[in-house]
Amino acid sequence: MLTLCVHRQLAEFTLQIDVTCTYPVTAIFGPSGCGKTTLLNLISGLLRPDSGQINIDDTILFHAEKGIDLPPEKRRIGHVFQDDLLFPHLNVRQNLLYGYQFLAPSERKFHPDAIIDLLELNTLLDRLPNLLSGGERQRVALGRAILTSPRLLILDEPLTALDQELKDRIMPYLRHIRTDLGIPMLYVSHAIGEILQLTGQVIVLNRGQVLAHGDFFSIAHQPKILPLIEAHGFENVLPVEVIAPNRVQYNNQTLHIPPCDRTSGTHIFIGIRANDIILCRQRPAGLSIRNALSAQVLDIVETQGRSLVYIDVGKRLAAEVTPEAIEELALKIGDPVICLIKTHAIRIGPDVS
Amino acid sequence: MIFPTPEEYTVLVLSLKVGLLCVVISLPFAVLLGWVLARKNFRGKLILDGLCHLPLVLPPVVVGYLLLLLLGRRGFLGQILNDWFGLQIAFTWRGAVLAAAVVGFPLMLRAVRLAIESVDPRLERAARTLGANPLRAFFSITLRLAAPGVLVGSLLAFARSLGEFGATITFVSNIAGETRTLPLAIFTYINQPDGEAAAARLVLLSIILSLGALIASEAIARKMKT
Repeated sequence: MLTLCVHRQLAEFTLQIDVTCTYPVTAIFGPSGCGKTTLLNLISGLLRPDSGQINIDDTILFHAEKGIDLPPEKRRIGHVFQDDLLFPHLNVRQNLLYGYQFLAPSERKFHPDAIIDLLELNTLLDRLPNLLSGGERQRVALGRAILTSPRLLILDEPLTALDQELKDRIMPYLRHIRTDLGIPMLYVSHAIGEILQLTGQVIVLNRGQVLAHGDFFSIAHQPKILPLIEAHGFENVLPVEVIAPNRVQYNNQTLHIPPCDRTSGTHIFIGIRANDIILCRQRPAGLSIRNALSAQVLDIVETQGRSLVYIDVGKRLAAEVTPEAIEELALKIGDPVICLIKTHAIRIGPDVS
Repeated sequence: MIFPTPEEYTVLVLSLKVGLLCVVISLPFAVLLGWVLARKNFRGKLILDGLCHLPLVLPPVVVGYLLLLLLGRRGFLGQILNDWFGLQIAFTWRGAVLAAAVVGFPLMLRAVRLAIESVDPRLERAARTLGANPLRAFFSITLRLAAPGVLVGSLLAFARSLGEFGATITFVSNIAGETRTLPLAIFTYINQPDGEAAAARLVLLSIILSLGALIASEAIARKMKT
């Protein structure tokens, strides 16, 4: 459990955080420049809070009044940076063992071979970082942090620099770390889709303040949270029941999803981006899209050259449509519409807890 | 004919000794100051920077004279060193090392500072989060990555010390076997009526040495980069 109560003056705003992270994985979500990276640096000891305290389990990492300020090397927090920051003069093996070598044998929780296997780094050990691809570098950075047997692993947008394909390849490793190694994680991202693949437990940050804290699906629709999510491609979220490896049920309507490993009867969340939803007046015939949900127009909002149509499918969804299309379809509030979703545009989220 | 005479041999050994010792005593200061100037911001940084670079632009004679004022037998520090430790700097080979070190220091500092500046400071922070204390992080990451620059700086200072004349002759004079390094020996021969042939031999030696130092620095820097 990580308890944070910190205050730090930044150039443009004040970072004022007071939260407790109890879940195996807590995500910190917020737009760029909201103070996420600063917060992580405060936790790992690279920056000093102006006041407040930071505790992890029973250890005080920082306490302004008591004058406690553990240096980064004593905090045992694995920090994975946005740019992997591998040491360019050391090969992969030496990078992996850099922190490991400082630990007393009794403090070593993981064997390097096990982590090398888990992250599939066997063939890369003798290479220098400049000969690795972006995804490989990020895996080495992960392994390097894990091998310090950290009390907490903090990940600062570890996937942001990677393209979508690589993101999809790294994500399973992160889930392995979460599930198999049992290291608590604090995962920072501005992509809600990424976060939902790891956890539903979210702290929403904006301009240094905690806007909301808790289960994503119970806070996402709060008026002050919604615009932040929308600013990064609205991710619609639906609670559904798995009825087959590639089908889920929602309000008596069946949706096809990409194959997932959940068993039938499990309740999970799925995510859909606003610009992956197509609206039409009639149920079309002869179309490759499998998913067509009946819906009703709730609201039409135009902001900054984008038009969002909010529709009701039993839950509120946002669809991004061009202003011309709205005109052509003559969409009005209250109109019935059909909403089409490509199977592979659906992201599988965590279980409903 | 090709082999150096005993006299030339003495000059050569003294020059190399002065050059090497000058690098050895300058290096810790250059690394420390190079790091301070590259990574720290504080009031008076410009003044410190200026002071460090002063020997580069001052006439060497001025440097030598100032050293003499400070460390001569009646100088403030010279008196203390002489009375307390019986240590004499002026007019000894130790003074020659010090003169060469002061004059060569800005060259070394510049190279070290540039090398440290070119190392991403975030790498050191990453090392800290991995459990390295500040000293360990500095030596295993920053200094190791700056090593080619540090080496180049050392060789530059070494080469500069081989050519040092003005500060040396002012501070420690031109004493055969004690402070007569290569340039001073050449100067001495040129001033003798029939010393031109002897001077020419030393000039050639001096060119070979300096060129060797420069080529070695380039070669090692290139090797360490890959």
